[in-house]
Amino acid sequence: MDAFLQGLAMVFNLQTMLVIVAAAVFGLFVGAIPGLTATMAVALLVPITFYMDATPAIAAIVATSAMAIFAGDIPGTYLNIPGTPASAAYVGESYRLAQKGRARETLGTNLVCSVIGGLFGTMVLVFVSPSLAEMALNFSSFEYFWLALLGLSSSIFIAIGSRVKAFLSLTVGLLLSTVGLDMMSGAPRFTFGVPDLMAGINFIPVMIGMFALNEIMMFYGSRVEERHVPVTAKDSVFLKAPGHIKTYWRNVLRGSSLGTLIGALPGAGADIAAWIAYALGKSRSKEKEKYGTGHIEGIVDASSANNSGISGAWVPALVFGIPGDTITAIVIGVLYMKGMNPGPTIFMNGGGQVYALFTVFFVANLIMLPIGYLAIRASKVFILTPRKILMPVILSFCIVGAFAINNSITDIWIMLIIGLVAFVLARNDFPMAPAILGLVLGSTLENSFMSSMLKSNGDLLAFFERPISAALGALVILIWLLPSLIRLFRRWRSTPQPSHKPRSS
Amino acid sequence: MRDFLLGLAFMIGGGVVIAVAQTYPTMPALQFGPSLFPSLIGGGMVVGGLLLALTRVGQLRNALAGPRAGPHTLATRYDYRGLLISLLPCVLIVFYILASEFLGAPLCMAVSMLVLMLMRGARLWLALIVSIIVAVAIYVLFSRYLLIPLPEGTLFSQTLPFAW
Repeated sequence: MDAFLQGLAMVFNLQTMLVIVAAAVFGLFVGAIPGLTATMAVALLVPITFYMDATPAIAAIVATSAMAIFAGDIPGTYLNIPGTPASAAYVGESYRLAQKGRARETLGTNLVCSVIGGLFGTMVLVFVSPSLAEMALNFSSFEYFWLALLGLSSSIFIAIGSRVKAFLSLTVGLLLSTVGLDMMSGAPRFTFGVPDLMAGINFIPVMIGMFALNEIMMFYGSRVEERHVPVTAKDSVFLKAPGHIKTYWRNVLRGSSLGTLIGALPGAGADIAAWIAYALGKSRSKEKEKYGTGHIEGIVDASSANNSGISGAWVPALVFGIPGDTITAIVIGVLYMKGMNPGPTIFMNGGGQVYALFTVFFVANLIMLPIGYLAIRASKVFILTPRKILMPVILSFCIVGAFAINNSITDIWIMLIIGLVAFVLARNDFPMAPAILGLVLGSTLENSFMSSMLKSNGDLLAFFERPISAALGALVILIWLLPSLIRLFRRWRSTPQPSHKPRSS
Repeated sequence: MRDFLLGLAFMIGGGVVIAVAQTYPTMPALQFGPSLFPSLIGGGMVVGGLLLALTRVGQLRNALAGPRAGPHTLATRYDYRGLLISLLPCVLIVFYILASEFLGAPLCMAVSMLVLMLMRGARLWLALIVSIIVAVAIYVLFSRYLLIPLPEGTLFSQTLPFAW
C-alpha cells in the first residue's frame, strides 16, 4: 500500500502533471501534422527527457505517443491525409464522414475510442505484466536468446510488404548493434579507430536519423505544397459519441483487445493493429456495404486498436526488455538511462516506481479527453501549420538533440549517416521497424547466445533442454515455417478435389 | 532497377562485413568469438541481397529494353531534382559540423533554417525572423537550462549577450 501511495505521489505533483500536459500538447502538434510520426515525436523528446527524473520522463513519452496517435486522425478527417501511419487504415471513412458535415462527431468518436483503447491496454499492462514477470524470473540466457530471436523473427514475418526487404533492414540494425567493444572478449568491432564508437552506437542519434532526418529529407524531396481545409465542421464533438459507443461496444472491445495483442508482438505497432482491426471489423460487420462510404463502425474498431496497441507494446518491453514497437524500442533505452532496467525485476523491487508508471498510463490516456476536445475545436491551427517553416526548426532540434546525448560531434555524424541510409531504404519500401528491433535486441541476442554456449560448452542442443526454452524455440521455428505452411495449405485448397462419381445402380 | 542495385549493394556490404569480421580474434574456450555474429550478419546481407537482386532481374531486363519500347525511359521518369533537393538538409548538417566551432551553433542553425525555409518558398522576412528567434531559443534552452555545451563559436564568443 505504501508503494502504491508513493507511486501516486510521484505522478500527482505539479512537475509531472505539467510535463504530461506539455507532452500531450507536443504529441498533438506532431501527430496532427502529416509526415511527422509518433515515433519521431518520441525520438525528438528523448534528449529533453535525459534531464528529467524517471517518472516525468516516462510520463512525457507515454503522453506524447498516446496523443500523437489520436492526433493523426485530425488531418485524416479534414484532408484525407493521415497524420501518422496508425490513422491510415480508416482515413477514407473519416474523410467521407467529414464531407457529410460530421467531422467533429467523427473525431469525437475517434477520441473516445482512443481513450477506451488506451485504458484497455493499460489494464492489460497492469494485470498481465506482474504475472508474466514472475514467470520470467526463472528465465536464463537460453530463454532470453529465444525471446530475442522471437522478437526479431516477428518483425520480419509481420512486416507489411517484402520479407526480404524486412530481413535486410534487420541486418542493418543487427550490424549497428555489433559496433563497439565485444562484451565477451573485449575486442573492438567496426570502431575504425574512433574512440567514441568504443562504447557502441548510441541509439538516440540512430532514432533521430531514422525517423526525423529521414522524414525531413522526404519532405524536401517531395513537391507537396501547402494545403487548405476543404471541409468545414460545425457539429458537436461529443453529442453522438456515447450513442456510437453503445451501438458498437463489441467493436470497441474487439479492437482494443486485438490492438493490445498486436501491439505486444515485436515489430507490429499501432499501424498494423489498426489495419487488422479495420479488416476484421469489416468482415464481421452486418453492414459491410456501408464500409468505404463513410461508416462510423469502420472507425470504432481501428481507432480503439491503435491506441491500445501503444499500451500493449509496453508489456514485453517492461517484462522482457523486448520492444513491442519502435516507440518502446526508444523507451527501453530511456529506462536504462534512468536506472530502471527493463526485465522482471522491475516489478519486484518494491518501490513505487512501477505504480507510478501504471498511474502515468491512466493519467496520460484520460487527459486526452480534454486536450483532444480542445484540439478538435481548433483543428485548423494544427492542419495549416506550414511545414516549410516547421521542418527547418525540426532539423535544428535533430542536430542539437543528437549532440546532447554525449556532447559529441560523432553522434551528429551517426545521425547524418543513418538518416541517409534510412532515406535510401525508406524510398525503396524497406520497413524501418526491423532495423530498430535489430539495433535494440542485437546485443541481447548475441550476449545470451554466447553466455549459453559458455554454460553448455558449445552444445547447441542445450537450447532445447529447458522446457520453456524448448517451447520458445519451437515457436520461433513455427514462425519461420508458417509462410511455407500457409502457401502449401493454399495450394492444397486451390487444387481441384477429385469429384465422386455417381454410383451406377 | 533500384532494388537490383540495392541487392548488389547489400551483397558487397555483406562481403566486406565478413572480410572485416575474419580479422577478429576467437575465444580460447570456444571455436568462435567476436567474429561469429558479424559473420552471420554479413552472410545474411549477402543472401538477402542476392534474393532481392534475383527477384528484380526480369524488371531490369525490361528496363534495359525500355528505350526501344517508348519515350518513358528509366532516366526520364526518375526525379533527380527532387533527390538532389532532399540532400540539402544533409549538406546543412555537414555545414553545421564544420562551421559551428567557428561561427557558433546559433548562427549555423539560423543560416541552415533560413536556407531551408527559402528553398520551399517561405517569405524572406518571415523566414529571417523565425530562423533567428528559433536559433536563439534553442541555444538558450539547451546551453543555459540543459547545460549542453553547444559551440559558442570563436567569431562571436565575446559579443553575444546570451553566451556564457
